[in-house]
Amino acid sequence: MRASFVFSEVLTGLRRNMTMTIAMVITTAISLGLLGGGLLVVRTIDRMQDLYYDRVEVAVFLTEDISANDPGCTASPCTDLRTELEAASGVESVTFESRAEAFARFQQIFEAQPELRELARPEALPASFRVQLTDPERFGVVAQEFGGRPGVDRIADQGAYLDRLFELLSGLRNATFVIALVQSLAALLLISNTIQVSAFTRRTEVGIMRLVGATRWYTQLPFLIEAVVAGLAGGLLAIFGLLLAKTAFLDRVLSDVFASGIVPQVEFGDIALVSPFLILVGAAVAAVTGYVTLRLYVRV
Amino acid sequence: MIRLERVSKSYKTSTRPALDDVSVEFDKGEFVFLIGPSGSGKSTFLRLLLREDVPSRGDVYVADWNVGKLSRRRVPQLRQRVGCVFQDFRLLNNKTVTENVAFALEVIGKPRHTIRKVVPEVLDMVGLAGKADRMPYELSGGEQQRVAIARAFVNRPLLLLADEPTGNLDPDISQDIMLLLERINRTGTTVVMATHNHAIVDSMRRRVVELQLGQVVRDESRGVYGVGR
Repeated sequence: MRASFVFSEVLTGLRRNMTMTIAMVITTAISLGLLGGGLLVVRTIDRMQDLYYDRVEVAVFLTEDISANDPGCTASPCTDLRTELEAASGVESVTFESRAEAFARFQQIFEAQPELRELARPEALPASFRVQLTDPERFGVVAQEFGGRPGVDRIADQGAYLDRLFELLSGLRNATFVIALVQSLAALLLISNTIQVSAFTRRTEVGIMRLVGATRWYTQLPFLIEAVVAGLAGGLLAIFGLLLAKTAFLDRVLSDVFASGIVPQVEFGDIALVSPFLILVGAAVAAVTGYVTLRLYVRV
Repeated sequence: MIRLERVSKSYKTSTRPALDDVSVEFDKGEFVFLIGPSGSGKSTFLRLLLREDVPSRGDVYVADWNVGKLSRRRVPQLRQRVGCVFQDFRLLNNKTVTENVAFALEVIGKPRHTIRKVVPEVLDMVGLAGKADRMPYELSGGEQQRVAIARAFVNRPLLLLADEPTGNLDPDISQDIMLLLERINRTGTTVVMATHNHAIVDSMRRRVVELQLGQVVRDESRGVYGVGR
């Protein structure tokens, strides 16, 4: 097999179908870019889950009686509750937050909204125990055990809010993957079509190759390599697109969000980790599509 | 060299078989004219020898190969030993004369130094040494057919098949092409040529196999095209 011959054939083929080649590369790039985007969302979600579930607390709100009359948690039933909470299985730490402390925290959170601060009165905020669990999943046990106790008003789980947040993010991830899938179908058809067009424009050459006894590999390899080159180009373009999306969009628009630590930043390292996978997928999918097309539709 | 044993070939599109129980044998180094009206089975005959088609019944032997039973992977081996020339030349218009001939060797993986050596030799043999760098459209029909013959012969085939090679050429040029095929035949290559050209068949006085409606109706060792045709 003469590599120089095969590669000159590949170049000729790609040049001759320039518009088709460009369309094929762009479509492949978009589907791979979306796939990469989806994978980055997955990584971000994983990281956020680690970050958030570590900090998540169960809030045991206390009744008005305790909130008003026992600001230091020095008498029963407040002390009893604290002892029992601390002794309960799965509980890592228990902190008491008095009405005054809750009010101070409220003021701090809504620093930017003076109207809200004006409206709020300390009397509206209950005292509470902030319970850190070793395993956030164990919220139900705590809620059941302490739900009806004297002095307990209600129990709130921050994890429930987080679950909703992550449901939303998972939905985003799934939507990205679905779009990537649909787009990749378009890419597959385009690759298949380009190979057929390419084989058609070169039917004379291929006819002569068959006639003089070129092997199947020799006749088909140029077409296959054409597809793989386009797949690789699509992969590179996709990576370039991800880098561009990070530097030009995410880092600018979401810089405040990243700085506040609510959403972990997408690192260059993440993209570097996803990149080889995209290139591999691009090349492999193009090769398989090309092979199947040649087997099914092209008589060479 | 070539042996057909009770070969029939039917196509789905026709009720009458294209070849009907044909048995014939050609020796190594023979020059054979395959004649007969259009639709008599000449092209099918050649297609079977090249394994473009497989027989519906019977066996086709070329050299040591049972062509009809050849696995797909071994078909290229057969075709590398069988040259082929057509009425319409089938040259690549974006390649020069040299490149057209070299193409046949490149695609079967011949080393470059071999190609550089044998291509000029064969161009010299067909009388195109001075036109090696011309493009096909700069050549006359006769010259284009010479390029096609050079391409078919450059790998020194055991067998050369020619399907109406003079069909598009005027009589003088046709005569030159026949001289060339005769020269190739003298190197020991078996030549099988399908033709309608009376003058050529009559003047060459070689073996003539006539087909009609898919059957061999005449086989003469020093034949003519036929009386009253």
